[in-house]
Amino acid sequence: MSQAILCKEIPVPRKWVGTPIKTKEAPRLITGRGKFIDDIKLPNMLYAALLRSPYAHAKIKRIDTSKAEKLPGVVAIVTQEDVLKWCKPYPQIVPPPADKLLDYPIAVGKVRFVGEPVAAVAAESRAIAEDACELIEVEYEPLPPVLNAEDALKPDAPLVHEEVGTNLVWHEVFEYGDVDKAFAEADKVVSLKLHFHRFGCPPTEPHAVLADYDKGTGVLTIYCNNQMPMFCMALIGLSFNFPTEKIRIITPDIGGGFGSKILSYTYMMLISILALKAGRPVKWMEDRRENLAAGTHCNEVTFYVEAAAKKDGTILGIKAKTLHDVGAYLRYEPVGALLWIQVSSGPYRFKNLRMDVNAVVTNKGPVAPIRGYGRIQHLWMLERTVEQVARQLGLDPIEVKLRNYIKPEEMPYVTPSGATYDSGDYPTALKKALEMINYEEWRRKQKELWKEGRYIGIGAALFQDSGTNNFAQVRLIYHKNPFSGNSRMAEMWMDEFGRIIVAVGSNPHGQNHETVVSQVVADVFGVTPDDVFVVPGFDSWVHGWTGHAGTYASQFAVSGIGAVLGAAKRLREKIATIAAHMLKAKPEELEFRDGKVWVKGTDRSVAFWQIANLAYRNILELPEGVEPGLRVIYTWKAPFKLPDMEKKTVNATLTYSYQAHACVVEVDAETGKVKILDYAVVDDCGIPINPAVVEGQVHGSTMNGIAAALYEEFVYSKEGQLLSSTFMDYLFPTTLEIPNVKVEHMITPSPFTELGTKGVGEGSLVPLGAICSAIEDALSPLGIVITDSHNPPERLYRMIKEAQKRK
Amino acid sequence: MIPRSFEYLRPSTLEEAVQMLSKYEESKVLAGGQSLIALMKLRLVSPKYVVDITRIPGLSYVKEENGKLLIGALTTHDTVENSPLIRQKCPILSEAASRIGDQQIRNRGTIGGTLCHADPAADVPTAFLALGGEVVAVGPRGERVIKANDFFLDYFTTALEPNEVVKEVRVPVLPPRTGSAYIKHARREGDFAIVSVAAIITVDEKGVCTSASIALGAVGPTPLKAVEVEKALVGKKLTDDVIVAASELADRGISPPSDIHGSAEYRAEMAKVFTKRALRLALSRIGG
Amino acid sequence: MAEKRKIKLIVNGVEMEGEAEPRTLLVHFLRDTLGLTGTHIGCDTGHCGCCTIIMNGVSVKSCMVLAYQAEGAEILTIEGLAKDGKLHPIQEAFWENHALQCGYCTPGQIMSAYFLLSRNPNPTEEEIRRGLEGNYCRCTGYVNIIKAVKAAAEKMQKAVK
Repeated sequence: MSQAILCKEIPVPRKWVGTPIKTKEAPRLITGRGKFIDDIKLPNMLYAALLRSPYAHAKIKRIDTSKAEKLPGVVAIVTQEDVLKWCKPYPQIVPPPADKLLDYPIAVGKVRFVGEPVAAVAAESRAIAEDACELIEVEYEPLPPVLNAEDALKPDAPLVHEEVGTNLVWHEVFEYGDVDKAFAEADKVVSLKLHFHRFGCPPTEPHAVLADYDKGTGVLTIYCNNQMPMFCMALIGLSFNFPTEKIRIITPDIGGGFGSKILSYTYMMLISILALKAGRPVKWMEDRRENLAAGTHCNEVTFYVEAAAKKDGTILGIKAKTLHDVGAYLRYEPVGALLWIQVSSGPYRFKNLRMDVNAVVTNKGPVAPIRGYGRIQHLWMLERTVEQVARQLGLDPIEVKLRNYIKPEEMPYVTPSGATYDSGDYPTALKKALEMINYEEWRRKQKELWKEGRYIGIGAALFQDSGTNNFAQVRLIYHKNPFSGNSRMAEMWMDEFGRIIVAVGSNPHGQNHETVVSQVVADVFGVTPDDVFVVPGFDSWVHGWTGHAGTYASQFAVSGIGAVLGAAKRLREKIATIAAHMLKAKPEELEFRDGKVWVKGTDRSVAFWQIANLAYRNILELPEGVEPGLRVIYTWKAPFKLPDMEKKTVNATLTYSYQAHACVVEVDAETGKVKILDYAVVDDCGIPINPAVVEGQVHGSTMNGIAAALYEEFVYSKEGQLLSSTFMDYLFPTTLEIPNVKVEHMITPSPFTELGTKGVGEGSLVPLGAICSAIEDALSPLGIVITDSHNPPERLYRMIKEAQKRK
Repeated sequence: MIPRSFEYLRPSTLEEAVQMLSKYEESKVLAGGQSLIALMKLRLVSPKYVVDITRIPGLSYVKEENGKLLIGALTTHDTVENSPLIRQKCPILSEAASRIGDQQIRNRGTIGGTLCHADPAADVPTAFLALGGEVVAVGPRGERVIKANDFFLDYFTTALEPNEVVKEVRVPVLPPRTGSAYIKHARREGDFAIVSVAAIITVDEKGVCTSASIALGAVGPTPLKAVEVEKALVGKKLTDDVIVAASELADRGISPPSDIHGSAEYRAEMAKVFTKRALRLALSRIGG
Repeated sequence: MAEKRKIKLIVNGVEMEGEAEPRTLLVHFLRDTLGLTGTHIGCDTGHCGCCTIIMNGVSVKSCMVLAYQAEGAEILTIEGLAKDGKLHPIQEAFWENHALQCGYCTPGQIMSAYFLLSRNPNPTEEEIRRGLEGNYCRCTGYVNIIKAVKAAAEKMQKAVK
């Protein structure tokens, strides 16, 4: 059982793990020598542009590409006809009847959201391709759109997918403990309707695909910036009429992903079809308007919550009905509607929970597993609810949270859904964050400030991040889904000159895998990170992969590193066997140091290159039974089990990083604008392999959360037009909007991983909790309750004005 | 992301530019391009001819003459922001320019360009209206001077003929005992305004207001003078009560739009709030 | 349809020539015609700043400039900062302060910082934030970028002394 350590020094007995070395990726990126998809040029390459639907909902009556085809420079155009020849519909992971939902890389028969691709053009230049798109004539018959989950469930609602027969694509009730008893025993029952808004995490690099079909070998190479392409192969393989063994997937440098680059398999296939038709390589880069409309959104959720509590604020139980607005297609949904099971009771210890979960399709952009997928909505809901319990009981919300937190000595803690938290000290983390913003002093000053008419508030929240998920979780959606567990493959070899090379099956996009892997491997072999070369990027013909491969869900430090450690130990063992033979010693008597293998306590050694010489060139001198070569593969497997289908429980996450955020805000009552006066974060990701890398991700996820809470929102008109369609209106915050963020680190090592690391990176967008909490605190003299995750000035202004009138 | 095709013309004098604009229908002047190029990339605007005036020499300058500052039409926002002359003698113009977009945009965007683009939610047009500035335009019949009050006609529409080019912008040197402020309410610092206010007030030795010029941005198809507010200030000693009461009149005669950043009602309320704030700030800046 | 013609620019101290049509944006000319792919594209409306370069001494968003407008201009791109394999102090500072993660916005950030420091060798934090307002970053939350620019300023001042 691990103890929390608040510290700046990392207590690991290793030389490189735990040190904030400069990254290996930086040199090429700071000199403009990174290689992103759009930087790649192949001979004879064409450029693609996509024609997209201007309607939220419409039948496609006719597509006429004849004028576009005649434009000089246009080489090929793909429409639904071509796609139907090349593709079967994508398999869905929901039970019937929604499994009949038809989903293709392009709109077929009708368009279901503004921005849905309708045609693809390949031409000699992007400019010509865009001109050609304007010449394609599409005759639409507009249909009434359905634009929110509640409307979509009405009996007379237009159907987004007629073939399904309903807009309710998944409904399931999960019941844990004894919810009715909890409510019967409650001193207080609190009811809330909450809305978690629609936003995204658009990275600075949009989607891009370069498809290259070699007519000679029949190999289709897809260069893409998808962050989980081998996971996508399941969908590509089952839908694309192209031999899977001849598909090669390459990801070079990727300009950020945040989950939004997981579901671009639709584009990988569409551009491939275009390349096959054109007979030449085709490159497509998404523009920002396309990206904001279609390149994916975060789950939008409406919650109807009730909480049962004792009068001292102890939460007895919670029941929630959720409506997940997942947009026009499912894709990886309804997993987003399910993943609250990874954090079912959040940081709290109540045991009684009922979740009535509903996933609904609407005529809006499709959603994807974006940063904190499925958990951020649930954790935000829990924070709002616990705070309302406190306020309605006349108690301090922060005190109530602390009272209900799981205690460190209760770890590992099994939550109602079966999710098992590995370690953590939530109360200490929250208290530390509050200390960092001088909580006591602000509380003292607060009442005076309120009297002066200054609405200043303090908020704090703690959200957990999951790392390394159990894919078996999708069986709780439909028992037949053939997915389970989690695994990662790594290949490692020493060349004949003694240099170490690693190929990991990940698709990093800012996580600095080349750096952290070098650190871990350096410790195993007693060398420096500079002696370890990590093959950059990903190539499915070079990097080993399993169906769980990719960079997502905050897990590389556990799964990827697990594979790397396994491979490193396997390779080290083989090297030790050969070295022992050469040094006439026992393997246990050896140590690895400074690029050589030594007999402990002596000056007898043999260099790596000498060992490698035997393995590669001089094989008759190898010891008996040892195969030539120094190349190993290791596949790490997470110690998961299949779900209990009757109880609907599963341990779906191996490790849990978490962050406690505390902030002070001032709400300008005259305008509704929120200013952040102070912001502090305490982050715990177990043992950090590279503390600088981790801290950078904490900064980034904090900014992401602040952006979501105060700036970024996808807003649709009542006709279903996306009004926040460019960065003019989709408000990506700048240096002038994001304050300085103070960060401290805590370490509660994970008992479930070899190095004590926990997956980290998503960060769970805790500002959504902390800022809503602080705004509500600031406006508490007016009795205002915050029920929206996004609070732009006008909304707060109206609430303030109404409250002031009531007074 | 790529504009529709067009012909590119590069005049070397203003006269040549005027000739080209007269000769070619569907031609548009290109200067800094920070508004026009964005619109062309989104294919919302597609001129057949683009007349790039940025190589015409002698159009970037700031000088003082007869109580006015004369600013060449191609003077960038960055230059306007940092010009010692403008900062000292007409600080509200510098302040407005400093709020435009970001550094890169200010390095390219020009004062002529932003006035001709005539976006009521932009910064300089509102300050320009409050200043009662003038534009010198060159057309086929020669030069003419257009006053600020007559310059802005509608959303993105000015009194310029399609074949006229702005050559110079003139703003007054602010008199002694004058305080000015340009402030805006926006979601992000560099965004177009939800509401903006340019306030210039002059007082006599006793603190009585002798002149008030207040222009509001983003509350109508053009920047608008808050005439009722001005009337409520002139001739009065500017106590805070007077300022607050006058500001309540800021929503008179405005017709704000509604969009996702602010409804019309919200903008009308904010017009009052920001008028009050601008007046207080301007008053605090009154020097000797 | 407008014809292409050759234009000459001085890029990173070297005269370069290439074909462009009127609607060719400077960023595409640099990337696709001259092969300098260090300058990136992140949006359609001149907001994100990934395309920032130095043109005639000032930072500009190269996606908001026509290639023809840059004819004869002196351009400095990210590729031109390091000299003879030696990194510019701003590049060093970005590396040392972990001011980049995915690296996509990084060239633009560095060029904006270059312009800022060329005018203001000792900026305050507020001035740094203002100077980089036109450069979006999703990965870093800006915290380390600001640290890096401060550190770069110090390095550059030491070098001058």
